[in-house]
Amino acid sequence: MFSYILKRLVFFLPTMLIISVLTFALSKMAPGDPVKLALGNRDTGEAGGASEKIAGEKAYLEMAEQLGLTLPTFYLEFSSQASPDTLYRFVKKPERDNLERLISMYGNWPQIEAYYNQIHRLELALLRSKQDSTTFEPGRIVRENCGKLLLEYKDRNVSLYVSEVVKASSRTALFAEVHTEAMKLQENYNRMKAEASLEKNYIPDVKWYGFNNQYHRWITNFLKLDFGISYIDKRPVWSKIKDALPWTLSLNIIAILISYLIAIPVGVYSARHKDSVMDRILTIKLFILNSLPVFWIATLLITFLTTEEYGMDWFPTFGLGDVTEDMSWMEIAYERGIHFILPVFCLTYGSLAYLSRQMRGGVLSVLRQDYIRTARAKGLAEGTVMWKHAFRNSLIPIITIFASLFPAAISGAFIIENIFSIPGMGKVAFEGLVARDYPMVFTVMMFSAFLTLIGTLVADLLYAVVDPRISYK
Amino acid sequence: MIFRNVNTKSAAANSDDQSYWSIVRRQFNKNRPAVWSLRFLIVLFVLGMSSDFIANEKPYYCEINGKSYFPVFKGVGVSLGLAQWPAELSNVNWRELSYEKAVWPLIPYLPTNLDLKNKDYVSPFADQAVESGRWKHYLGTDNLGRDVLSGMIHGTRIAMLVGVISMSIALLIGLVIGSLAGYFGDSKLKISRGRVWLNLLFLYFAFFYAFSSRSYAMGDALAVSFGGFVLQLLFSLLIFFGIMLIPNLLAGLFKKLPYFKHQLELPVDIIISRFIEIFESVPLFLLILSIVAIIENPSIFIVMVIIGFTRWTGIARYIRAELLKVRSLEYIEAAHSLGYPEWRIIVRHAIPNALTPVLISVSFGVASAILTESGLSFLGIGVPPEQVTWGSMLSSARGFPQAWWMAIFPGFAIFITVTIFNLIGEGLTDAMDPRLKQ
Repeated sequence: MFSYILKRLVFFLPTMLIISVLTFALSKMAPGDPVKLALGNRDTGEAGGASEKIAGEKAYLEMAEQLGLTLPTFYLEFSSQASPDTLYRFVKKPERDNLERLISMYGNWPQIEAYYNQIHRLELALLRSKQDSTTFEPGRIVRENCGKLLLEYKDRNVSLYVSEVVKASSRTALFAEVHTEAMKLQENYNRMKAEASLEKNYIPDVKWYGFNNQYHRWITNFLKLDFGISYIDKRPVWSKIKDALPWTLSLNIIAILISYLIAIPVGVYSARHKDSVMDRILTIKLFILNSLPVFWIATLLITFLTTEEYGMDWFPTFGLGDVTEDMSWMEIAYERGIHFILPVFCLTYGSLAYLSRQMRGGVLSVLRQDYIRTARAKGLAEGTVMWKHAFRNSLIPIITIFASLFPAAISGAFIIENIFSIPGMGKVAFEGLVARDYPMVFTVMMFSAFLTLIGTLVADLLYAVVDPRISYK
Repeated sequence: MIFRNVNTKSAAANSDDQSYWSIVRRQFNKNRPAVWSLRFLIVLFVLGMSSDFIANEKPYYCEINGKSYFPVFKGVGVSLGLAQWPAELSNVNWRELSYEKAVWPLIPYLPTNLDLKNKDYVSPFADQAVESGRWKHYLGTDNLGRDVLSGMIHGTRIAMLVGVISMSIALLIGLVIGSLAGYFGDSKLKISRGRVWLNLLFLYFAFFYAFSSRSYAMGDALAVSFGGFVLQLLFSLLIFFGIMLIPNLLAGLFKKLPYFKHQLELPVDIIISRFIEIFESVPLFLLILSIVAIIENPSIFIVMVIIGFTRWTGIARYIRAELLKVRSLEYIEAAHSLGYPEWRIIVRHAIPNALTPVLISVSFGVASAILTESGLSFLGIGVPPEQVTWGSMLSSARGFPQAWWMAIFPGFAIFITVTIFNLIGEGLTDAMDPRLKQ
């Protein structure tokens, strides 16, 4: 038994690793600039003067450093020979994406790099140049076009922007330096187009970056229970999870407990009275319950039972209620309880229906067995046959369901918590997803996967407890 | 000729009494709820597919300035790319044209039409600001003045498409993976070492040329239209399988070398079962949500594809278990001794006999796919705001509890659809009870 558990636990490892790589890859594929998200989409001084721009750049780089985004992404990279192994050093994601695009179009990295650097040199020249009333309009044009050039790859647009920069910079004598840089930019761009080496894009290449990479840093921190910092409110993810987990767990544990407590007797009853009127009514009712979408029921409950519109304002609509320190425990229990009733009901009815149907099926299939006939034939009382012989064995199927209930409960809680505004894991994860707060999403994903694995393991062990024929040797 | 016809008919009648399928059909027909569900499903399907003809902003037939048009039919042609609007009818407000004569559809609204006179949730029983009963909103309107009944009808199509598209994808993946695991098990697939190495090597090249170097082509196509993306994807798959042909042709040559000749037993079943186990421990709803959330221009079709790609494990499990049983039966052995190639035995003999229980899994799978999609649109993820689905309609009831019609009708539609698929699944389960096979 012990070695079996150990074996299973060892199997957790690759599973968790694969899930972690999957979520990590998803977060890297997400659009948008994570550093800007972490900076709260603050303007990084693009429109301001030289000092503001430099300060903005600095803040950006510091944040990128803090988030570990200046490192290579993964241990190795499968790419083509055209893309350099230094691409990760371009920290700004939209600009890096654009560079990758240019590589796929022209395949000549030295020329692309020269062109890209020239844009920055042009921007610097613009910042250094003297300003007066005549430079205001051309300066704006050059600055805006430089910003667009960093994110543009289509030849038609790039040519247009470049020629506009050249034209604007020739309008005032103060921009002499800017103009030479702009001419160089045009030259660099033309060279990039002329010296394209597309064939490099079709030679596969594997690049090895070593252990100092973003994924490695993230996973080692994760194993040390350091889950990073949430982009939204800069709180450590761990403390957010610590606040959210108890709500999700208590909701789900109450719901699962109630559904097992009701489902087992209901299932046994309708199996014992198979084909009776009561059994038929129960079966139909359970079937309907099983197909009722949980978000519909929640919406209906909120619409009809929490508003005065239909005269049934019995329950609070959202949240968990206010608990102040001077309330007695009775009041606290009431306040929490009344807020819990509707969400728990929504989480319960579905699994309740499913469980009792399985229980009924389990009891029925056991009652058909030979040993039940034997037990009856030797004159045992019906109650003894039922509870001592049939019941234990019919528990087996619904114990395995426990494992599948757990992940289902997590995703069920996802919707329920959002409808009822309960600050549990589902709500936190949803808010993280909408705001692309990936440290948060990761952690919730890993946690749910871990809970699912634990659920399966517990179910397997319970299996052996209930059925002595099963042993894990 | 006539004689032959009669003969085949009587043969069919004879086999009707004996074949497993006919027993299943007979058992299924005894289950009244399941039969009615099937009938109702056909109605829903027809309703969904013809929603453009039942609820549309354009008239079926109209006469303007002495010319006659068939705008609804023309509209279908235009959306399929087969026709173009005449200049006088492109970008017009159909309600405000002056018609000499017009025949309107049953419900003269599209779910996207904003009826500005009836916005901010108008109840079905309220006094609606409409010209006559012909223009009444039978199930009320939502906050923007969109007709709820029209949304319900067009939502039917979305729900049916979700079921069909996502389950076809899941079925395809599940069938391939499950039958590999079930048929070959752990010891039946013997491959020469050369073939294994070559395949692994070329897998890398195939991925590189089919997907990595074509990722921009596919991404750009996706940004334009879903159909274009599918074409690009098919092209990529063609390249992929084309490249994968090379190692398998080369393997014959490699077999002559002593080291590469050695036959390996590939534990297909262990590999695939472990993979399924890992896949199933990922919280699916969260996974789907996070995939959908990273797509810049989400569309309902992408959501369907993602659901399909994440729901195949149940089908794969079923077919694996079934094939593990089937492969040791005598007729497979007979096919072997007749010298049929493996693929033929799998495709022609093994899979058809394992297919029946898969139907059960598919029908429950459709129910859960529809639930997932409506849950996603209820949360407002993955579905563009102008797309009206049952889930998105239901979610707009949340902000305005007075609008009971927004809470009841779309939810009821989801419930009914899920129920009929569950009932059909249930009916199939009963009908295919293995004890019948004896």
